[in-house]
Amino acid sequence: MATAAESLTAFEPRITAFVCNWCTYTGADLAGTSRLQMAPNVRIVRLPCTGRIDPLFVIKAFERGADGVIVSGCHPADCHYTAGNYHARRRFAVFRELLDFMGIDTRRVTFSWVSASEGGKWRDVVNETVGRVQALGPFEAYHELAGRQG
Amino acid sequence: MARIGVFVCHCGENIGRTVDCARVADALREHPGVAHSVDYKYMCSDPGQALIKQAIAEKRLDGVVVAACSPHMHEKTFRRACAGADLNPFLCEMANVREHCSWIHEDRARATDKAIDLARTIVEKVKHNRPLQTIRIPVTRRALVIGGGIAGIQAALDIADGGAEVVLVEKEPSIGGHMSQLSETFPTLDCSQCILTPRMVEVYQHPRIKLMAYSEVDAVSGYIGNFTVKIRQKARAVDASTCNGCGACTKACIQRKIPSEFDERLGPRSAIYVPFPQAVPNTPVIDRANCAYFKAKAKGATKAACGKCAEACSRGAIDFDQQDSFVTEKVGAIVVATGFQLYRIGADQPQGLTGYGEYGYGTVPDVIDGLQFERLASASGPTGGKILRPSDGREPKRIVFLQCVGSRDPAKGMAYCSKICCMYVAKHTMLYRHKVHDGQATVFYMDIRAAGKGYDEFTRRAIEEDGARYVRGRVARLYRDGDVIKVHGFDTLSGEPLVLDADMVVLATAMRPQPGIEALAQKLSVSYDQHGFINEAHPKLRPVETNTAGVFVAGACQAPRDIPDSVAMASAAASKILGLFSQAELEREPTVARVDTGLCSGCFHCERVCPYGAVERREIRDRKGNLLKVVAEVNPGVCQGCGTCQATCPSKSVELDGFTDQQIWAEINALAL
Amino acid sequence: MKELQELAARLLTDGSAGVVIGYEEGPRGVRPAFVTRPDDVGRLIFDPRCVHNLATYLSPRRTHLKGLGRPAVVVKGCDARAVAGLLRESQLAREDVLLIAVRCGGVMRHPERHVDLRAETVADRCTSCDVREPHLFDFVVGEAPAAPPVTDRREARIRELEAGSPADRWAFWQEELSRCVRCHACRQACPMCFCERCVADKTQPQWVESSAHPRGVLAFHLTRAMHQAGRCVDCGECERACPADIPLGLLNRKLAHVVAERFGHHPSDDPSVPAPIGSYAQQDGQEFIL
Repeated sequence: MATAAESLTAFEPRITAFVCNWCTYTGADLAGTSRLQMAPNVRIVRLPCTGRIDPLFVIKAFERGADGVIVSGCHPADCHYTAGNYHARRRFAVFRELLDFMGIDTRRVTFSWVSASEGGKWRDVVNETVGRVQALGPFEAYHELAGRQG
Repeated sequence: MARIGVFVCHCGENIGRTVDCARVADALREHPGVAHSVDYKYMCSDPGQALIKQAIAEKRLDGVVVAACSPHMHEKTFRRACAGADLNPFLCEMANVREHCSWIHEDRARATDKAIDLARTIVEKVKHNRPLQTIRIPVTRRALVIGGGIAGIQAALDIADGGAEVVLVEKEPSIGGHMSQLSETFPTLDCSQCILTPRMVEVYQHPRIKLMAYSEVDAVSGYIGNFTVKIRQKARAVDASTCNGCGACTKACIQRKIPSEFDERLGPRSAIYVPFPQAVPNTPVIDRANCAYFKAKAKGATKAACGKCAEACSRGAIDFDQQDSFVTEKVGAIVVATGFQLYRIGADQPQGLTGYGEYGYGTVPDVIDGLQFERLASASGPTGGKILRPSDGREPKRIVFLQCVGSRDPAKGMAYCSKICCMYVAKHTMLYRHKVHDGQATVFYMDIRAAGKGYDEFTRRAIEEDGARYVRGRVARLYRDGDVIKVHGFDTLSGEPLVLDADMVVLATAMRPQPGIEALAQKLSVSYDQHGFINEAHPKLRPVETNTAGVFVAGACQAPRDIPDSVAMASAAASKILGLFSQAELEREPTVARVDTGLCSGCFHCERVCPYGAVERREIRDRKGNLLKVVAEVNPGVCQGCGTCQATCPSKSVELDGFTDQQIWAEINALAL
Repeated sequence: MKELQELAARLLTDGSAGVVIGYEEGPRGVRPAFVTRPDDVGRLIFDPRCVHNLATYLSPRRTHLKGLGRPAVVVKGCDARAVAGLLRESQLAREDVLLIAVRCGGVMRHPERHVDLRAETVADRCTSCDVREPHLFDFVVGEAPAAPPVTDRREARIRELEAGSPADRWAFWQEELSRCVRCHACRQACPMCFCERCVADKTQPQWVESSAHPRGVLAFHLTRAMHQAGRCVDCGECERACPADIPLGLLNRKLAHVVAERFGHHPSDDPSVPAPIGSYAQQDGQEFIL
């Protein structure tokens, strides 16, 4: 992970996080309540459940300039809606392999289970993702698609 | 053009210290569609809320964004404030610039930039918010209680005493559950039957309780306030309305040596039987697998092989042709109180379990389990309350009790603690000493867990006053040696192996949920853990609710529970239900899915993923009545708003209000460079 | 051939079918045939040039075929899987269609160019298809054929791509996709692409840009592949329909491997086998989740 001194000069990635309302969003709230310091590169989009998170969101985030994406929700058996996370797990297991096969470096996409009590884990997920994407550099390949003509 | 008001909160210094709130308000003022943008010390205070209300009126705002704390903290507060100014509350959203920004960053410039981003994102979302109406659902003031043990009885009585009707379903011929089998109860040693039987009779006689014994829940549909339950009434082969419970039939039965379930197979019963004398209802039932008439009929006999019970019945209540029947009940809430079973070594091994054959249960007749000991100690039991060995009927002078058989053993058994065993083993040693004055009880234990009012004192009494010998350690194996059982154990405190001669061994086997609990849980759409125990909605704050609204849980089907715990849970569930029934209508957040039936192709992926069964099929017909297509439709009463249907729908023909594609798209878009 | 023609004549004569959908010789090779009169059954043929997946015509969106009456459709193994998919996803009722299964030993990659079925000419998909005779049918016709010639072209290509770096794969796909003109022929030809309104045509919001701009092209193909995961019947129609020769079969095949390895799912002509996306198992792998 990048140290604070390095990050002053390093590239600052833009990370979009899609998180469920009941576990990860609340876990991120707990990180705040516990004053856990973390990299300021992540912007959270709140969804009711990981089951609501569509691969289209990830595609659109990259199209709109994200260098990395986080998808996070409740641990198995913890889903507020019983099974949304299980459906999401299947969906993203496949989508991740598709991204990889089409040449999108999957190190840019973090999937995690962060419960409402895991503020510390949320901080780690954020810092680790930011550090990883920082090392990879800006996602120019994808962003350049905007400039290319068909 | 939208007219959105942005209100940036300092939260005292909580936000203001790291985020330049004035700069956030200034930046947002320039954002397209923002008609008003201010910052203020405490937005949630009365003057803060007044500021919002005033701006809504004066600036004709059509949306409000409060950049402050987490929506989990104050979304309701600000939505209420908006409603107070005649703005639909669902046009108000919060940007979380405290928990997700000021509290987790130190760099003021970057934290301020992030706060601006977050606020802009929510402004873009709110541009696509639609006014929503709180959903109102009618409530059927009638409850279903599944399980007629002490938890179910308590819940049923509390709800009925509170003025609502109750349907109590019990799968056995009588209510009473495991508590009716117990001799005495800890920590007071009062007689179990003496305190339970009056409650059972109260259930039977209660004008607002409909008791359906020997019945099972077949299917459940609907949602909170509006469940429809199909109940199977199993055929007793006895007409309950004409039977007067005289017992002549059971005396006439020619099959008299069927192991009694109530006596844990230590005593016999007849094929037509009442489980125990105080049974409620006191109507016998014919056990078809063991009845001479039904056995012969199953083999194809055309002539009645037996009919002694029918001959003995003066009221003609025996009805060999009776069939299972179905009853449909409408209820507004459901309590699951199906209780437990004991782990029976060899008989029902949970998945992957092979352990404990070394304890000889089922092969050595004088190795019994805790419930069997209860029946031996019970005055109404097969030995009339005398402690006698099953093998030869002699009084055992040395009993060894083994705790934690199957519990606290992730390798061979269940990882959890069964909670009640420490207490009932102490009770057993006392009951034994009270009945066999020269008897010696030895207990092998791992730890003594006696947390509860009067519990530790109780176990101390067993040791100090009633002479129970407690050995900390486990038993490796036991076997029959002539008349005695050799018990090979290890005393971990002295560090020495131990070989004891015992006349009888009692295993405190683990508590497990009732068989079939998974199927029931699936019918109710409630979740359960890997052991089959029903999951509560929240382990601390919502202990008797499940994750399906309107379905509650009480007693040992949720986790190992003793009687006081079960009763407390049952009363808690009853009070929750009475609270629910105190409203004429339920209010629900309108975060529910809607199908665009014009676009829906009817592939029903949504139906397959919906955890609540909220997706229904609707036929679209033309004016002549020709079927055009079948489409999905969401029942807003059942939908809980997870949105899994929308992410699954290939054509995006279903939208989750409050989190529509348009709203999320706008949020993602707003995060662009 | 005669067996097929006689069966078609019988079905049209006794009224059990209103139209027999099969194959006929056209001016530029084999083409789908819609035979409504018993006198015309002589047009019907079946040989390794019959590549089209006729299950596409069973989509309820093909309303112009409705007036012809109940269809009896000629299906190969892959086509039967598509019919099963339509049944599984409620697009079709079993009693609304008659299935004439043909025993199939593989079809050609480019029927207009080849004359016989060899490893060089066989369609990639036929090598991985072990269905000589579909299990979903009302009638079966034809001789028991030999297994198709073996070719490893497609799997070798997938392995080769997987062996490279993400940047290599990115370059490969960008090159291939640069030819996409967003004509959506892949979608139209696919029997499993039956939505009333494709998400790629949705405008509010527009998740997938509609022009042949590289960004929209990538979004379209990611989405198309995702929607086919666990649903693709491997009939090869998308790739055959593509005027730009984009190897869409590689994407479909790759995801078929993924759902097979992860969820044990294999495309089936049994409609009661559930699709893997839309169901789940508690023990599904999650090694990629932190």
